[in-house]
Amino acid sequence: MIASLGRILILASLLASAAGALIGFYAGRTRSAEGLQWARRFAYFYALLIIGATMLMVYALLAHDFSVSYVAQVGSRAIPTWVTIVSLWSSLEGSILFWGFVLGAYIAAATFFTRGQYAEYQPDAIGVWLACAAFFSFLIAGPANPFLTVPNPPLDGPGPNPLLQNHILMAIHPPFLYLGYVGMTIPFGFACAALIKGRLGHGILKPLRESLMLPWIFLSLAIMLGGWWAYEVLGWGGYWAWDPVENASLLPWLTATAALHSIMVVERRGILKGWTITLVQASFLLVLLGTFMTRSGVFNSVHSFTQSAIGPTILGFLGVSLVFSVALLAFRIDKLESEGNIEGAASREAMFLVNNLLFVLLTFTVLIGTVFPLVVEAVNGKQMSVGRPYFDSMVVPIGAALLFILGVGPALPWGRASREQVKKALLPPIAGAVLFAALGYVANIRNGWTLLTLAFGGYAAYVTFAQMFLPMLQRMKRGDGAGTAFVDAQLVRGRRRFASYLVHGAVVICVIAIAVSSTMRQTTELHFTKGQTQQASGHAVTFLGIEERQEPHRLSTIARFSVAREGKEVAVLEPRMNQYQMMREPIGSPDVHTTAGGDYYIALSNIDTAAQTVSITVFASPLVVWIWISVVFMGLSALFGLVPSRRRAAVAVREAMPDATPETA
Amino acid sequence: MNRTVLLVGIVISAVLVGILSVGLGKNPNEIRSPLIGKPAPSFALKEVGTGRTVDVADFKGKPVVVNFWATWCGPCWEEHPVLVANARMMQPNVQFLGVVFQDTEEKILSFLQQRGSAYPTVVDEKGKTAIAYGVGGVPETFFIDRNGVIVAKYNGPMNADAIRAHLDKVMR
Repeated sequence: MIASLGRILILASLLASAAGALIGFYAGRTRSAEGLQWARRFAYFYALLIIGATMLMVYALLAHDFSVSYVAQVGSRAIPTWVTIVSLWSSLEGSILFWGFVLGAYIAAATFFTRGQYAEYQPDAIGVWLACAAFFSFLIAGPANPFLTVPNPPLDGPGPNPLLQNHILMAIHPPFLYLGYVGMTIPFGFACAALIKGRLGHGILKPLRESLMLPWIFLSLAIMLGGWWAYEVLGWGGYWAWDPVENASLLPWLTATAALHSIMVVERRGILKGWTITLVQASFLLVLLGTFMTRSGVFNSVHSFTQSAIGPTILGFLGVSLVFSVALLAFRIDKLESEGNIEGAASREAMFLVNNLLFVLLTFTVLIGTVFPLVVEAVNGKQMSVGRPYFDSMVVPIGAALLFILGVGPALPWGRASREQVKKALLPPIAGAVLFAALGYVANIRNGWTLLTLAFGGYAAYVTFAQMFLPMLQRMKRGDGAGTAFVDAQLVRGRRRFASYLVHGAVVICVIAIAVSSTMRQTTELHFTKGQTQQASGHAVTFLGIEERQEPHRLSTIARFSVAREGKEVAVLEPRMNQYQMMREPIGSPDVHTTAGGDYYIALSNIDTAAQTVSITVFASPLVVWIWISVVFMGLSALFGLVPSRRRAAVAVREAMPDATPETA
Repeated sequence: MNRTVLLVGIVISAVLVGILSVGLGKNPNEIRSPLIGKPAPSFALKEVGTGRTVDVADFKGKPVVVNFWATWCGPCWEEHPVLVANARMMQPNVQFLGVVFQDTEEKILSFLQQRGSAYPTVVDEKGKTAIAYGVGGVPETFFIDRNGVIVAKYNGPMNADAIRAHLDKVMR
């Protein structure tokens, strides 16, 4: 019953999106206002159908209706309710349905927020969005259908992949990733619409930038949450392993970050239009590549779902999207007129260009490292993997260069600058560089790259801080009080600028935390008998004993440790082995004591309940927590920058009505 | 029309889609090594801890499992307890042997002391043995039968099922 209803909803969503896409493109071609109205209606209708189908699946999961194939595959009466909800995206079919749900929400929101605006671009953008939607509805209706009817429903199911049940972060990471991934469809639609029209006018830049910024925020958080999850669950003390699928989430983030910067150059100088459009398209195409990588079984990774029939279908869609994007670009890029030139090497826009080139270089580096094993296999049939050494040796220098540009770029003025101006802008921040590097040296950091990162970070921190409050200081010079100046110059008028420097500040903290935590990590391996105390990284660790805890869906074997520093207990850590019903091997779960200065992390490597002995690995990593904090802060700052300024909107209205009273500041 | 954009775009697209389609329909863990069916290349590598020289040919007469790994490789950590448990169970009928490359003896020793070991581990200091076996990444595992012929190769961390399935092949 539920299964048939679900199939009907999915088929209807396929029809609605396909029809809406055709109408959108037709309306774009004929500039028909009525056509646009109908395209918008179909967009809402599609969203309604696909969201309805997803809600139906959630209902089936909660009701344990095992006659629905997906519920029979991942459902279980023994698991907690939150795991049941999470299981919506824990397996292939459900995750594609969830994709459709997020896409529906995005399309409805984008259609709503563009109402009455951008009429020139809107029909084609809706056409592109709904064409993508049609593809995913096709996937759900065909190769990845979660709503098949199970003729003889079982009484209970196996439950989702235990790794997903092991930590609450697994409930948060995938939705953020989907919000980031799927959201790239919206700017892709705007970019294609701009190409179809052959114009990237000022009007379209705002929706393009904002619709790119939102998924960028989600993707940033998703990447961080994925790393955090790996850190908290996998027990090897690190957060990033250059796993193909981790790379897959990083690739669109890199191009999107580049695009967010190049859009500013288009806004200010009217140049780099074709380049910006290409980056936006690339972000979407890399999302499809990432989806292919996780859903096709081609790559070997923790994230891989088993081999599935949808691999070729996604590859086909990726191919079509690539051809469509390349063709559009080739036929239209020359119509996007450049309105100027880069005037000098030491200018803000030149630094933007360098930033962009570095981001693209980084994208290619990671992309090549990720697909290289497939290239080798295609050429000589051998299989190989590209390891950490390649990525570290390639990515670290490019990353350091980007951090350098993050400092130098904002210090330089737009346009042509005199030698004196350049000197005045670039010399003082060296104090910051010296300070940070000296602090690092005092803190016993001897790794050259880490010290360089600190120096560049210090430089960038100086520039960022100085630039951040420049508008406020200018206001105060004119005689305003600090409070008024702060609210007006930073929070209201200069909100977007202020927000972007807050993001830069967070990036500096994040990069420093990554560099320090990965190069200064201390690893100690210890073997304990009950009651024994041993020293590791400045802490005394006492093994208190083993405890077993039976929960409905798992059996946990917990080793308890007391961690003391200078004679005082600072934490009791409980790393554990979780044995899930449906898995033969137990899953280890480390435990972490977090402080602002660093983490103390204990992972079990061996546990003997009978003899009451354990082997553990202790990781002491400085500053790790700042990675998570800085990325959250980065996301919040960017979000703050996106909030429309009410005053600016009010000013626009007043300007439109000549007899309104003039603004009083 | 911009021919450069068209050309560059087509080349990148064709290469990318071409490469990705090659990988479709294959199990990334299954290895088609040219060494399968050939005698296992012999070597003379130092055993960690004892300094004794070990060659795979020393174990002729019983099946051998050769596992290439390194302490810097995350998946190897995952795989290690599974290998040790199976070695304890299957030895002496099957000989397990670890070959570590791009690593230092000191790190390997402390790794083994803490995580347990049940079979000899040798260091491939110059990586020559890894090259002879065509190892592209770690972990990789070779299954060698009684006559010293490579029967199968596995790429990536093995679970208990994978080890048992492959052992069945060499035990026959």
